[in-house]
Amino acid sequence: MPPVSHAVNRRSFLQLGLGVTVLGAVGCSPAKPASKKEDSRTFTIYWNAGHGYKAYQQVIDQFGKDHDLQINWQKFQWPDLTTKLTADFRSGNVPDLVEEVSAGTGTQYGLAGNVLALDDFAAADKAFGFPGDYLDQAVVARQYEGKTYSVPLHLTANGLLFYNKAMIGTAPTTWDEFLDAAKSATKDKVSGCSLNSDPSYAAPYYDQQKVDFSDVAAKQFMQPADDALKAMQFLQDLIYTHKVSPAPVATTDYSGPQKLFSAKRAAMFVSGPWDIGPIRQGSPDIELGLAEPLTGTVQSAAMAGSGLMIPSKAKDPKLSWELITRLGAVKTELAATKEAGMSMPRKSWAADPSVAADPNLAVIAKSLSVVAKQDIALSASGKAAQIQDLWKKAYQQMIIQHAPVGPTLDDFRKQAGAAL
Amino acid sequence: MIRRRQAMTAWLFLTPAVLFFVLLFFLPIGNQLLTGAYDSDGTSFVGLANFSRAFGDPEVLHSFLITLVYAAGTLVVGTAVGLGLAVILNQSLRGRTLFRSVLLIPYLTSVSIIGLLWRNILDPQVGILNRLLEAIGLPGQTWLSTHPLATIVGITVWSSGGYTMVLFLAGLQGIPGLYYEAARIDGAGPWRRFFAITLPLLAPTTLFVSIIGLISTLQQFALPYIVTGGGPGNATSLYAHRLFMVAFNDNDFGYASALSLLLLVVVLILSLAQLRIGDRADA
Repeated sequence: MPPVSHAVNRRSFLQLGLGVTVLGAVGCSPAKPASKKEDSRTFTIYWNAGHGYKAYQQVIDQFGKDHDLQINWQKFQWPDLTTKLTADFRSGNVPDLVEEVSAGTGTQYGLAGNVLALDDFAAADKAFGFPGDYLDQAVVARQYEGKTYSVPLHLTANGLLFYNKAMIGTAPTTWDEFLDAAKSATKDKVSGCSLNSDPSYAAPYYDQQKVDFSDVAAKQFMQPADDALKAMQFLQDLIYTHKVSPAPVATTDYSGPQKLFSAKRAAMFVSGPWDIGPIRQGSPDIELGLAEPLTGTVQSAAMAGSGLMIPSKAKDPKLSWELITRLGAVKTELAATKEAGMSMPRKSWAADPSVAADPNLAVIAKSLSVVAKQDIALSASGKAAQIQDLWKKAYQQMIIQHAPVGPTLDDFRKQAGAAL
Repeated sequence: MIRRRQAMTAWLFLTPAVLFFVLLFFLPIGNQLLTGAYDSDGTSFVGLANFSRAFGDPEVLHSFLITLVYAAGTLVVGTAVGLGLAVILNQSLRGRTLFRSVLLIPYLTSVSIIGLLWRNILDPQVGILNRLLEAIGLPGQTWLSTHPLATIVGITVWSSGGYTMVLFLAGLQGIPGLYYEAARIDGAGPWRRFFAITLPLLAPTTLFVSIIGLISTLQQFALPYIVTGGGPGNATSLYAHRLFMVAFNDNDFGYASALSLLLLVVVLILSLAQLRIGDRADA
């Protein structure tokens, strides 16, 4: 074949191919590209998957209608939310409002410049009542050097004793009573109690021995050491010596004890108000008892509860603040409590007759009065997540893998001190 | 002139692929290299400090070691299982097409579903496996607590066994029946035929399976993340999981980038070594 003819054919072929490619690219593009205006009218919210209550759904839907916004309400498990948010902060493509996993997380992000201090918004919006109408411990744990980086959404205590009234006659109040009750209830396929694989559930126990998880200024962790040993040894013995609790399974799911309790395979477990709803809905036949936190050396619980924070690069922070005020209104709080049994941070919520008359909420209120103080400096150090990961490793080694408590705690202290 | 035109034509056809690789592979790798030379805030240039730090980091060294154990276990057991299944399903059995299809289903299933499925199956209290064991009078086991890494290996083999089987089946069907006929005439039994004919002639397939398997196991992240969260302790915190924690938990993207590049180097070295071994075997 002559070269010229060959080249012409190839050129024609290439021209045809190029034309088809261009046409294909045009044809595959959206018929009506999303305009910038539409993008700016999308309001993105990151939320915990377990907190998607109808009470919040209604508020968010109404907010979207009032402002003609397209609401993109994304729900995640906490670890996934943290991962997504970290990536978003890196890329600069952030949501408009984020549920904060716990007090201190907002401070950590705020000090890195990723979320806004909300004091000016609150000062300009007296009707919202922040921080005046909020319980002090929920606010103080979110403040650093005079700035507040999140508004509490829920205020709960991890340390409530859940018990099956058909299996446990009288709720134990001390560690000795707890152990006795667990031994009595353990039979066949039923365990007296159930421990969690999530290390944060150990907090009520070491708080009850007056152990401080961290003292950043002194670079100390889990002190006094003897009391920390006592607390963690007690937990380990529940599984391996007294055999009243199954060893938890290492997972990212913290609902294992609640599921065992709901399946009537465990008579007691220690948790927070977030487990009331799943038990009531999943096992309405269980006669659920809710008791105050146990007393070791002292009666104590660990503070828990999520908050709301606004990323620094949110499209319209004023709009985000408005949604915070709607979600944090006492009316919304009461609706969420009625729906899910969740406890809330407002003083006016606690004073509401419907709350005061609820026996479970009275127990929660009592627990909130004994929550241990948090070390705000740990969040401010920017190393909280890294140290929590080290604690998770140590906790699982002691509780799941039956590692000796003393040396494991010592290793944790060394590694956490080095991480700081 | 013609050669130039031909070269231009070749480049024109190659351009989309080159652009694809440059934009989506080489530029990100270059960016990783750059990020790896900066501190956790991405503000101070630290040179090779992040790379040298990895060699003294006990968590990273532990994760690398268990990743090698995981990779070796998965490759050895997975290859043996895949080959065994392929040999069995290469016979003229009734319903073999159905078996082949069924065995391939786990490979076609999302790793998230596989992880959640096995997490529930292996739950010591409410999982179906312990209930079955109890039903036949055997004691229940805490698989994910006592042998977490071996359990993850088992789940990986279960999910990838079908794919390995398909690859070996393709290899088996490429072996001429003539060889087996000649061997039979010479009096070779089934084991002799397997070791003298099947296994040597499957060497290219075995090499392919081992390289693909090695790369995927060294990069394994999703399965331990979903099933155990890297626990208990750090027993299943494989290298990619450790890398993820450094990036998204510790927020140290400089160090995480360095770790990811070190993994790339390890994968490259091991893959080249395998290819070299394969070449020598062929020679």
